[in-house]
Amino acid sequence: MLRRMAFCGFLLAGVPAMAQVAGPAKWQNDLTPIGPADWNYDFAAHLLERAGFGGTPEEIKALAAMTPNQAIARLVRFEGADASHLPPFDHSGVHDPGLEPFPPSRPAVTDLAKEKGEALGIKVKPSGNRRLQPIVDEFFYWLRASALETNRVAYWWANRMLTSPRPLEEKMALFWHGHFVSNEAKVRDYRKLLNQLELFQKQGTGNFRDLTVAVAQDPAMLSFLDAGVNVKGASNENFAREIMELFTMGVGHYTEKDIREAARAFTGWNYVDVKFVVNKDQHDDGEKTFLGKTGHFDGVDVINTIMEQPATADYIAGKIYRFFVREDLSPELQKQLGSVLRQNHYEIAPLLEKIFLSRDFYSQASVGTRIMGPVELAVSTYKKLGLTSIPGVPDFNSATGALGQLLFSAPTVAGWAQGQSWITPGLLLERGNFARDILFPDISFLPPDRFTGGGEVRRVAERIREGMDITTATMDDSKSGARAESNLNADRDEEFNTRYGSFRGSQMAIERVKAIPRDTAQVNLSRMVLKENLKNTTEVVNYLVHRFMRVPPSDSTRQKLVAFLNNELGTTDIAVAQTYMEYSLRLVLHLIMSQPEYQLS
Amino acid sequence: MKNNRFSFSRSSRRDFLRAGMYGVCVTAGASIPVPVFGQAAAQLARQAKADGKILVVLELSGGNDGLNTLVPYGDDAYYKHRPMLGIPRNQVRKIDDHFGFSGGMAGFERLYKDGKLAIVHGCGYDNPSFSHFTSMAYWHTAAPNSGEEYGWVGRLADSLAPEAPPNFLVNIAARQSLAVRSRKHVPVVFDDPNKFSQEKFYDEKAVLESVPDNPQVDNPARRFLLDTARSAKDASVLVREAWAKYHSPVDYGITGLDLPKVAALIDAGMPTRLFYTSYRNNAFDTHVFQNDVHKRLLTYASDAVSAFLTDLERIGRADDVVVMIFSEFGRRVPENVNLGTDHGTANLMFVAGKQVKGGQYGAIPSLTKLDQGDNLIHTTDFRRVYATMISGWLGLRDTHPLLNGDFETFDLFQPRKA
Repeated sequence: MLRRMAFCGFLLAGVPAMAQVAGPAKWQNDLTPIGPADWNYDFAAHLLERAGFGGTPEEIKALAAMTPNQAIARLVRFEGADASHLPPFDHSGVHDPGLEPFPPSRPAVTDLAKEKGEALGIKVKPSGNRRLQPIVDEFFYWLRASALETNRVAYWWANRMLTSPRPLEEKMALFWHGHFVSNEAKVRDYRKLLNQLELFQKQGTGNFRDLTVAVAQDPAMLSFLDAGVNVKGASNENFAREIMELFTMGVGHYTEKDIREAARAFTGWNYVDVKFVVNKDQHDDGEKTFLGKTGHFDGVDVINTIMEQPATADYIAGKIYRFFVREDLSPELQKQLGSVLRQNHYEIAPLLEKIFLSRDFYSQASVGTRIMGPVELAVSTYKKLGLTSIPGVPDFNSATGALGQLLFSAPTVAGWAQGQSWITPGLLLERGNFARDILFPDISFLPPDRFTGGGEVRRVAERIREGMDITTATMDDSKSGARAESNLNADRDEEFNTRYGSFRGSQMAIERVKAIPRDTAQVNLSRMVLKENLKNTTEVVNYLVHRFMRVPPSDSTRQKLVAFLNNELGTTDIAVAQTYMEYSLRLVLHLIMSQPEYQLS
Repeated sequence: MKNNRFSFSRSSRRDFLRAGMYGVCVTAGASIPVPVFGQAAAQLARQAKADGKILVVLELSGGNDGLNTLVPYGDDAYYKHRPMLGIPRNQVRKIDDHFGFSGGMAGFERLYKDGKLAIVHGCGYDNPSFSHFTSMAYWHTAAPNSGEEYGWVGRLADSLAPEAPPNFLVNIAARQSLAVRSRKHVPVVFDDPNKFSQEKFYDEKAVLESVPDNPQVDNPARRFLLDTARSAKDASVLVREAWAKYHSPVDYGITGLDLPKVAALIDAGMPTRLFYTSYRNNAFDTHVFQNDVHKRLLTYASDAVSAFLTDLERIGRADDVVVMIFSEFGRRVPENVNLGTDHGTANLMFVAGKQVKGGQYGAIPSLTKLDQGDNLIHTTDFRRVYATMISGWLGLRDTHPLLNGDFETFDLFQPRKA
């Protein structure tokens, strides 16, 4: 209420409606649908923030012009929105058939090569020095190529988040990506991760039971949770445990024995290349007792039984609510949401409609109270700037990674902790620095997909180019005489050099992985200001605050911003300043994006 | 006498530092408004005096090979498993008739012989993971095989100081460690003290450096962000100032890790009770031709830790600080064919400090009875050492809620003075 009053005092010329108007406090926890009379620009803006990645004033106005039912149906039931113009992922073509099955480690590769005389599709040299080197090079090539190609997948996805006419499809995929976690560092295959992402896009608002089965049979997940070692007689509980603890029920609704029995049911589930397989001879078909039921269960039976537990619907509905609405969720409301999901047989779309249409979603407790994650922050920033593609400078993955959310690299199997966990003092400052990198691109920018590898790789590369032999070039510290001697001794026996392999693999990878376009953000704030017919610096600051922030800063900060812009432009009059104002407008926008409130959605 | 001199010098340093931050308000009394960060600094100094016990956690990331760190040179099985990689008896720094440190670890040898270093043998957990990522997450959360989302150091901060005062928990790193992720605290996370700042153009300085707004707000997320912004402003000023003022004559060796930064913050009177830092870049992830590089890493780590304790003596805080050192796993007992070792299980932990009762704790794992993967079978749940830090050092009696279980502690510290 206080917030509302404070801003009613402001004269916002050129602004279509007041920012950040929420429904009354008593709407909190009320799942009653809002009516057409409640609907306005701010509600539409709030919906687009949460069900998508925010929008430009034009996009918000289009949504505000509908009824709430129409607006929500357009976002949730997006099948009608044509997305066929969005290009599929453009593969660089980096995967070689001989790479499968990719061994788990470099020692496993070299052991295999010694045993079979070949590995990764490459033969051991019959004689000479470092007979295994080409194989080790190929091993590192694939690690590097997969990592680089995964960064391209992330770019492709981020571009869909920015431009898709179905923003909820991508937002929901982002939710599942943080729920059913897999990690590139472990999976080491961009193809599996891309397939998993496409599964989330395709089935993200569909049926949760079907999605869980699909994920349990998804090669990226099977690889990530070591399904290959879960075999009859030696079951590995990791997979079964995560399915129950993190993916469906949460702790406290099953016993350790249930985990062991479920693990037996999943035995033999594995993958070959990018296909799910059941190895019948490794599957334990014996009788199991799981959550009170007994039978010759397999993995699908286990998932079906999990879906019969009330805890499952409550758990997943609660997690969806916390992602889209707010973190504090009362047990009563969670139970209500769980019943909605159960009544709809685990269909996600009706639950989302219920949430987005509810008074609770538009209550003061919900509006402007969510801290955006780094990916959301970046995409919504680009969206509000009116961009039509994700800039190459700054690098999307480096930027979001520095802020704590590199796609396909969740920190743990539990995904990214949300809310306040996104923010540290250093990271809050870093968010402002990210905005600066967009508005004032670094002219010394080095593309991380070309300027690749760590310091060691580059050091080796330089020395090799200088004409050094591999042993000398790969020495850690050329200053130590004693070490040089030991390295020389080792060299006489060595069949490969790992540091050289790491360098050569990186070199091969950048040859074959397509480059990410490195265009900077095409921003023209002067045009924006003139188009909106803003007359003076106060109107400009108010317009920018309203366009870019869901929760405006305090009055005194707003006054500081106006004073700053007056000083920069040497006038309050936009007509006077219009030929030279771009740089100053960008400075003031950088200041806006550096406000603590800019993180809120 | 010595202590008095040091404490005098410490307080005058702090006064100097505070004077610097107050700027023109140097004589400010309670009735005169002072800049927000000046107020914060005064509050920090008060808290620092209240209770000074500090825990520094040092992570040797990458899986340190414990058997080549503290070499069981008295056990023939060691040399049988490691014909090429075993460190010869005449090259170890012997601490008894069974164990000796790797050749470069003069610092640890001295700490041990001075009774300031506790070695805990055989630390690990059931159903060990051989993934760096997974195992490290287990050590970070103190919750193996679970999806615990907060770190044990973060939860410890929540228990010690539920009101979450600023600058209580510091993590010096490029990225925040899962270990310090906290429900209530905003860990001060920074990498280079000189770069812990908002990048700004000259023209923007007046606005970005001005006293931050502190409006009345009822939006909890906005409240949190405003608090974090002020904390960032406070901490970044304090950290940069502390680092600028810190000039130690103590030689931390080639890298020093981030321990000089910790010393600088302690010296400046930051109210931090928990510091978390790592050997950078997963350095201990060595697999091939391991001995030279491993020896060098250990030398650097040993130099840095022993220098840190010397530095703490210099600033008069040696009685207040212990360092706990761990790695996410040890290495397989037999060497691999590339003169390296592969990911293993149980490992050593170290606790160093003036108040530590030096010696060896925990049962020594057998080198002949190994598990199926030729790994050591752990003898000590690593959470026993955490529990020892939590209750024995920081005085939090009941560790059960924090560690989700009961873990017997070691009697690892000198009796507290009355």
